[in-house]
Amino acid sequence: MSFLKKALAITRKDVLSELRTKEIIFSALVFTVLVIVTFNFAFSASQETTALVAPGILWVTFTFAGVLSLNRAFIPEKEENCLEGLMSSPVSREVIYVGKMLGSLLFMLIIEIIALPVFALLFNLPVFSAPLVTVTFLATVGFVAVGTLFSALAVNTKAREMVLPILFLPMVVPIIISAVKASGLALAGESWGALASWLQIIGAFDAIFLVVSFWVFAFVIEE
Amino acid sequence: MENAGYLLAAFAIIWVIFFAYLLNLLNRQRRLKKEIDALKNTLKEKTG
Amino acid sequence: MKRYILFWVSLVLMLASLFLVFVYVPTEKEMGIVQRIFYLMVPMGWLALLSFFIVFICSILYLARRRDSYDALAYSSAEVGIFATTGALIVGCLWAKPIWGVWWTWEPRLTATLVLWFIYFAYFAVRSFAGEEARGARYAAVIGIVGFVDLPIVALATTLWRGMHPGGVIFSGGLAPSMLLTLLVSLGAYTVLYVLLLVHRTSVRQDEAFINSLKARLG
Repeated sequence: MSFLKKALAITRKDVLSELRTKEIIFSALVFTVLVIVTFNFAFSASQETTALVAPGILWVTFTFAGVLSLNRAFIPEKEENCLEGLMSSPVSREVIYVGKMLGSLLFMLIIEIIALPVFALLFNLPVFSAPLVTVTFLATVGFVAVGTLFSALAVNTKAREMVLPILFLPMVVPIIISAVKASGLALAGESWGALASWLQIIGAFDAIFLVVSFWVFAFVIEE
Repeated sequence: MENAGYLLAAFAIIWVIFFAYLLNLLNRQRRLKKEIDALKNTLKEKTG
Repeated sequence: MKRYILFWVSLVLMLASLFLVFVYVPTEKEMGIVQRIFYLMVPMGWLALLSFFIVFICSILYLARRRDSYDALAYSSAEVGIFATTGALIVGCLWAKPIWGVWWTWEPRLTATLVLWFIYFAYFAVRSFAGEEARGARYAAVIGIVGFVDLPIVALATTLWRGMHPGGVIFSGGLAPSMLLTLLVSLGAYTVLYVLLLVHRTSVRQDEAFINSLKARLG
């Protein structure tokens, strides 16, 4: 079986088990909408200020929802001891990383696809522009690349839900900065050229951290 | 000359932090060396 | 014997740099006497980065070879590093207030230093949360590697984010030779200080580990 096939088998397992319970997606989704609504009360918004704070609200929301969903990523492995089973099978550690990462990526994308129109509705902003969708996708890849690594790490610690954000958030600061800036430009209707440098940063982050996390993952789950 | 206070405060704080840190390390080293010697003696006695 | 030389060299250099900063170097035109904080700020920032670079190297070596000495070195460098980073933040605030009128500003260098502080914090947090020593060392090494790779991107993003700060930390006319000399001596002094602290901290950490193993043997 090829590498990708094995990884996708792991992803498929995660997706199927999530379809049964729907716990990650449902709770993250409700959380997302709640946060957006709460932010609306936090900032007494006129139309001008809305445009200013919207990208920030969007990405703070996605960040928190992402942490929530990533927190859950390795818990089934830990609790049902699936990880040992996976590791004793002839499957390389890297396959596990890619499989879990693709699963988390899928979950986050689904959450974002549903949250964006809600966001558009509540804030009266045009979200289905190609630049915004691209920014969202690329930034999510970066989140998930690093997040999967730290999620596997956090699951073996005490206070695991606290550990993940403490480790993870400083690392993804460049993505958050770039995503907020680029989203702001996209929502204002700017062309691709204006977003170029931000997209380059996100792209570089994605490439670098996919490789680094891929390589380092084995050291995290060896036991 | 008005802002000299900030300048002096900065240097003072940094020097105090690093000097205190160094002193702390030197003290700990001394104490640890003593404890190692004591333990080595105990070990020697025990194994004769 | 080696350690005493290091201590005295460090002391001499530090005093020399102090002399250069307060007596020798001329006062800069625009910012006045407060500009001399520059000779403290740059070394702090330099140490913060140098320390983490050493953490990075030792983390890789530890994961590859699993020798405890690499971990002790990494831990110690991180400890000196977080002190240096805290120092950089404190000095940054003490410089910002007279120059820009506020204690804190989200200017690229200060912001990036703050992020670095949190990465250092994560390095230590993961050790306490990990439960056992060996796992903690392994996880910390992961943070050391991922964190260091992250730094250039953080610097890039924060710089692009704020653009060129108007009243930025650039002196009109560049660095005069006397200023360059003062800066270099200061950098050298703090680097030697770093080595001194690193050597002593590593020795303390290894002694503690040795004592634990002795106590285990005594039962």
